[in-house]
Amino acid sequence: MNERNERIHGVACTFRKVSDVFHAAEKVRDAGWKNWDVHTPFPIHGMDQAMGLPRSPVPRLTLLGGVTGFITGCLLTWYTNSYDYPLIVGGKPYWSVIFPFPVLYECTILFAAFGTFFGQFIFNRLPRHNHPLFDLPNFARVSDDTFMIVLEARDPRFHLDESRNFLQSLGGQEITVIRD
Amino acid sequence: MSSSSPHALTAHWKKFLALGVVALAVVWYFACVGVAHHENRQALSVLVGSLFWISVLIGMLMLTMITRVFDAGWAPLIRRNWELLIVALPVVILLGVVPLAFSTGFRHALWDWTDAAHVLPGGHTVGHDPILQAKSWFLNEKFFLIRVGLYVLVFGVLVTLLRRWSFAQDTDRTAGHTHRLHAVSAVGIPLSAVTLTMLAFDCLMALSYHWFSTMYGVWFFALSIRLALAVTVILTYKLSNGGWLDGLLNQAHRHVLGCLMLAFTVFWAYISFSQYFLIYTANIPEETFWYNIREIDAATGEKSQWWSVSMYLIFGFFLLPFLTLLFYRTKIVAGRLLTVAWIILVGGIVDLWFNALPRQVYDKSTPEGFVVTPFLTSSLFLDLVSIIGFGGIVFALFLRGAAKQETIPVHDPRILESINYHE
Repeated sequence: MNERNERIHGVACTFRKVSDVFHAAEKVRDAGWKNWDVHTPFPIHGMDQAMGLPRSPVPRLTLLGGVTGFITGCLLTWYTNSYDYPLIVGGKPYWSVIFPFPVLYECTILFAAFGTFFGQFIFNRLPRHNHPLFDLPNFARVSDDTFMIVLEARDPRFHLDESRNFLQSLGGQEITVIRD
Repeated sequence: MSSSSPHALTAHWKKFLALGVVALAVVWYFACVGVAHHENRQALSVLVGSLFWISVLIGMLMLTMITRVFDAGWAPLIRRNWELLIVALPVVILLGVVPLAFSTGFRHALWDWTDAAHVLPGGHTVGHDPILQAKSWFLNEKFFLIRVGLYVLVFGVLVTLLRRWSFAQDTDRTAGHTHRLHAVSAVGIPLSAVTLTMLAFDCLMALSYHWFSTMYGVWFFALSIRLALAVTVILTYKLSNGGWLDGLLNQAHRHVLGCLMLAFTVFWAYISFSQYFLIYTANIPEETFWYNIREIDAATGEKSQWWSVSMYLIFGFFLLPFLTLLFYRTKIVAGRLLTVAWIILVGGIVDLWFNALPRQVYDKSTPEGFVVTPFLTSSLFLDLVSIIGFGGIVFALFLRGAAKQETIPVHDPRILESINYHE
């Protein structure tokens, strides 16, 4: 890795049309890039596949949260009602899976929601207060009428001149180097 | 594409009709013989078979109206198949519930409360039952028969309107039909909600009329949507392999059906558990007996066959579909979704058995004064024949309709959105 690359975040390149950025994304995917992104003013159907993105890992944390919540609910009701202060309520057993079920599933839902909420923070690497892309003078236009592909320097395929040429060959309009 | 056009399927309608007529003839024959010998189990086969399809078709009717009201973009492609099927709803009620209710022999055999001479557990007769007298403003034969007539009428009118304007749009290309159907559905949803609740009360809850549950209508609705979605998944899979959905049904359609299946699996469990939970917590004998006869053998105090059936409902009808449907790939891989649909279909039949079959039969030799009818009898096969029989009629009508009408709503304003539907 050369000296220059360490100060460079990546190379950005703008596109004017949905079809252009879509097909360019497919070519970047096929070239085997891992650390790169597409910025568009609106969601483009099929872009996930065009970029070769896998499914979000957040649901795994949701499931983990749900299971944790269910077990927490079981332990909470068992400890309070059956172990620490055994109490018969309404002729029911000290602990069974039936009478505390509302507690169990509420805990399941609560913890699953925690898993989802904090899971997306973790996988989106949030909170994050600034990003090198915000320094691009025309970056605001990707929320208006411009599409952008950014190849990041941390990808092993990144080499400044080659990456530039690659973006040019994809039909990119304005190519800018982003510095950290 | 040359040998089998997408509509070659419709030619099979006569086979389905023949199957339906033969199977129903068999079931009705056994039901008549049974009632002549003072047995009602065979008549229950007719009731269970018709209720299975009534449930499926009510679910489809509700889904048709709900997708209309919410202007669901994914729906038109699939909804047309519901529209072709729901014409069978009044027909199934007419062939199943109506003859059972209107013939005195069957009415007395199935609905104890209509037979004043029927002996209850404890030895007194229905005619001297104070509980029935208190409920008689609702449970009297005249009002009962009027209600059964109303089920045919209300569902018949709704089905006719929903189909007529949707089919009219295929030829006159008027967007106004969509607005009209929107309005019909907005009125039809609450109307159907009341009607299906009364139907569940009359056809299932009133089979043991001492018992009462305010959740019952919602339970029947949840079951109906689950069964409707399961049949939809199986049917659309079949139609996308050599039928009129060939090349049109995509992954996103399966995904949306899978998501709805998951949602209503949870909803069914929520409602079923709530009903159990409230009765368990309150613990008053007027309500608990309904679950007791589904758990404990009254003569021995041991767990009965019905206990295993309830366990099957928890693990086979809720937990298994729930846990599998949580995974994204179950909802998009056709084979997996199909498997879950079959599991739900089987579970739905078991749930109907669980609700319809257990009955207390007066027997003074036991300590409780009654015995509970067992689950495992040869009549379970007659139930399946009954389900196949009514199913034959349903699909004969479906294919007959598909031959006459467009099988894709070609001029629905949202048909392109539906065909190109994306996750």
